[in-house]
Amino acid sequence: MEGVPRTVAAPLFHVLLCGFNRLLTTSRHGAPARSLWGLVGMDELLQEFISETQETLEALAGEVVAWEADPSDRDRLDAIFRFFHTVKGSCGFLNLPRFERLSHAAEDVLSDIRAGERKADAGTVTAVLGLMDRIGELTDAIATGVALPSENDEFLIAALTAQTKMAEEAPMPAPVEGTESSGTGVAVSRQGGQSGPRTIRLPLTLIDQLMNGVSDMVLARNELSRKLRERSADPELDNVFERLSTCVADMRDVISKTRMQRVERLFAAIPRMVRDISRDLGKRIDLTLEGGDVEMDREMVEMVVDPLTHIVRNAIDHGIETPEQRRAAGKPETGSLRLEARQSGNQIVIVVSDDGRGIDTGRLVEKALAAGRISMENAARMSADEKLDLIFQAGLSTATQVTAISGRGVGMDVVRANVERIGGVIALDNHPGKGLTITLRVPLTLTIIPGLILRGGGQHFAIPRAAVVEILHDNNDMLEIGSVGGAKIATIRGIRHSMVDLEDVLGLAKVDQTGPRAIMVVRSATGIPFAMGVSAVDNHEELVIRPASPLVMATGLYAGMTLPDNGRPMLLLDAAGLANAARLPNILDDRAARQLKDEVDAQAGVEMVAALRFEEISGERRLLQLSLIERVEDIDAHLFGRSGGRVFARLEGRLVPVANGLVEFDREKVSALRLRDGSREACYPVAAVLDIVQMPLVPDMVAMHGLLSGVSVIDGVHLEVVNPFALFASLPDDPVFERSRGRCLLVDAEDGWTREILAPLLRQAGHDVMLGLPNDAAVDPQDVILCSNDDTAQAAGMMGCRVVRLRASPRAAGPQDASIYRYDQDGLMAALTGTRG
Amino acid sequence: MDNLYLFAMLAGTRVAVEASEVEAVVRLSDISPVPGMGAHVAGLSALRSRVLTVVDVAALIHGRATPAQERGLAIIANISGHSYGLMVESVSDICNVLEGELPLRGQIDPAWAPYARAIVEYDGMPWLLVPLARFIEGGGQQQAA
Repeated sequence: MEGVPRTVAAPLFHVLLCGFNRLLTTSRHGAPARSLWGLVGMDELLQEFISETQETLEALAGEVVAWEADPSDRDRLDAIFRFFHTVKGSCGFLNLPRFERLSHAAEDVLSDIRAGERKADAGTVTAVLGLMDRIGELTDAIATGVALPSENDEFLIAALTAQTKMAEEAPMPAPVEGTESSGTGVAVSRQGGQSGPRTIRLPLTLIDQLMNGVSDMVLARNELSRKLRERSADPELDNVFERLSTCVADMRDVISKTRMQRVERLFAAIPRMVRDISRDLGKRIDLTLEGGDVEMDREMVEMVVDPLTHIVRNAIDHGIETPEQRRAAGKPETGSLRLEARQSGNQIVIVVSDDGRGIDTGRLVEKALAAGRISMENAARMSADEKLDLIFQAGLSTATQVTAISGRGVGMDVVRANVERIGGVIALDNHPGKGLTITLRVPLTLTIIPGLILRGGGQHFAIPRAAVVEILHDNNDMLEIGSVGGAKIATIRGIRHSMVDLEDVLGLAKVDQTGPRAIMVVRSATGIPFAMGVSAVDNHEELVIRPASPLVMATGLYAGMTLPDNGRPMLLLDAAGLANAARLPNILDDRAARQLKDEVDAQAGVEMVAALRFEEISGERRLLQLSLIERVEDIDAHLFGRSGGRVFARLEGRLVPVANGLVEFDREKVSALRLRDGSREACYPVAAVLDIVQMPLVPDMVAMHGLLSGVSVIDGVHLEVVNPFALFASLPDDPVFERSRGRCLLVDAEDGWTREILAPLLRQAGHDVMLGLPNDAAVDPQDVILCSNDDTAQAAGMMGCRVVRLRASPRAAGPQDASIYRYDQDGLMAALTGTRG
Repeated sequence: MDNLYLFAMLAGTRVAVEASEVEAVVRLSDISPVPGMGAHVAGLSALRSRVLTVVDVAALIHGRATPAQERGLAIIANISGHSYGLMVESVSDICNVLEGELPLRGQIDPAWAPYARAIVEYDGMPWLLVPLARFIEGGGQQQAA
């Protein structure tokens, strides 16, 4: 067991050095070359050089003969030139001046011939061959350790130069056949000689071992560093150690990178494939590749190649229509195919979207019926998603005929199986007639992710940076932590989050601490955000994540582990797993649940609630529970009016009831509180908004009277408290506006624009707005999902309701871009209503 | 197959482990606990750059975790691609036993039943032959149950 890694490691090192060798011979850096001598014996490199030269000489033997017969033979000339060039490069590095002089002379002459500046006459050929033979002799001499007199070298070189002179005296009649213009010819040939960036294939286990080795090195360095610190300071020693540290760090970086690969490699074959297939099928396709610089584990890249290739083939073959069909369907003749990769938390998301005909779910159902997979009854009961899911059934394809490109029975079932085998997820966002978006999510295993190191219960843990929305200290004013019935609720800027303490989830004891605890708002890839209390968040680090053993993974709390420099293994927390373990409810689920909580709060005697202190038009100062107030705005007085005995304000094209029945004002603009009880809204004109205070939930003196529920004492002043219940109860029963519409679900709940601009706009327009998706997927078909991100759009589309996609750019990405510019209010409103119509 | 066994004391019982399963026996230093796990997972420990999942075998058998100060040696083994350290009380010898494994006799303690495969006779005494993987897989089943 132990022996194997060693023997395998040796050739790798060798290969690495050969790579260095090539690099160095071309760049001619003296210093690194010397340092390399320290690493391997000179003998080894020399041996390498000798055997390489001898091998090439053997192989060239035949070529030389042929070249002699036909000096204008370009290929053979090139081969011989490369030989001299390689020899020259290597021996410069190995400090073999004789080789260098010989090969240099030959190379000069040959490059002239290649450039067409000289003719390869018989004399030159002979002289070159003489040099070749000489190099062969020298190589043998070195190999056997025999000295060789050097005067012959001069003679041979002189012979070659003499040929040159003769050639100059008798200008050649015509350039050698097939030669290119001098400049490019040389440049190309030199490149050939230096052999570009060379790559080798290595088993992954080797790289893993190398990585482990480097990690060991880091640990050893750290130990050394500790030992050094214990001793008295020695600047000289410190310097050396510093250098060693840098080297080790660099080494680690490089080795870490060997495992990572840019997604570009995954994309590399796509353009060619798209071109070939589309040409075969007579389709025109505009291909966009994005996110090629995302890095993923090379093993993962290899696993994803096949499914991705298949998806792209499908998209071209079955998705995108022929130009004629597209024209008939009112689409641009050129179809668009878009591949996008990005990292999302601990996943790589690859999105393939086309604007083709999408999946015909009707046909899928027919096929499934025909194949006896489902019964008629079943088919009738199936939801759109379930129908779409049939595409993953083995042997079902919507392709009407088997083509050479796809539809050979290897279908989406295989793709899904392959993706799931590597722990990935595949999702479809189908828009029949408009296109299909396929999202692959694959995990990042053994990879480097930005992570946060946090402390809880006296232990360190890591959490992916992407899972953390924000971090607050628990003494922050924006944060309020309430607790009821054992449940903790963190309210951050008015948004309530379920809160857990990491220690409680993990069953650890809380450690006493002097400073404030940190509250992290954590969001997993799929779940809703929750607040997590930890002792402290220490720092931010790039973490090399390793898979943890199945025993540990079985807890579901951890996503892996990492070994930091201190040598103490650290666990990587899984945000979704923690939420599961804590059995957190999804408070963003719906408003009713939240209100229920409010009531629970009230029953539990949560003392204070935030209230707005304001001045009525009539001059009294009153309080109103802040949570009911959506916002305060100035409204033109002329917008208020009376109709059918009721008072309304005309706002955003709707009639909003005025809660306190005021209609006449002595000023042009009136401050008004916009109220909402979840389904209904109202407008409450006031003289002035004073401030926000904490008031007792139950007024100090309960006195139900009209709109008032009682009186509370705030800062020694008695203030009347407006009774929200009475306030809404007093509103006209029949809504001014039909409100049986669905909710607007804003997926990108954490996005500032969505929260601060879009949500208010929608609410103004009378839509019921909800931030984030309900986690239990309890989406009403009437609901509309708004998002700005294709991927979420697709995920949202799976939930069975309409999706309105917003884009930041005023211009559409393409003619088939169904998204709406986010400041296009009319378009947005039309889309919201249209989606219901 | 050669009959080379490692003999150790584990949860107060004499056990034999096939030497081919054993990578090394090390003295455990630092163990970082894994919260949220049963007592049978003592934690993680770094052996150079490898991270071991340290299994408290005694806890697996008696259901009592070994106190931290009594943690001593661990058998390092690679089980289905992951490195584990299985805590043992002491290791006595590595020895060739010519007659190899003998079938189990007598009534074995139910606690040991899932883990023991055979008996190895050594030094005039019977030793329970325990395949290491059973501690990991068996533990997983218990966890799941």
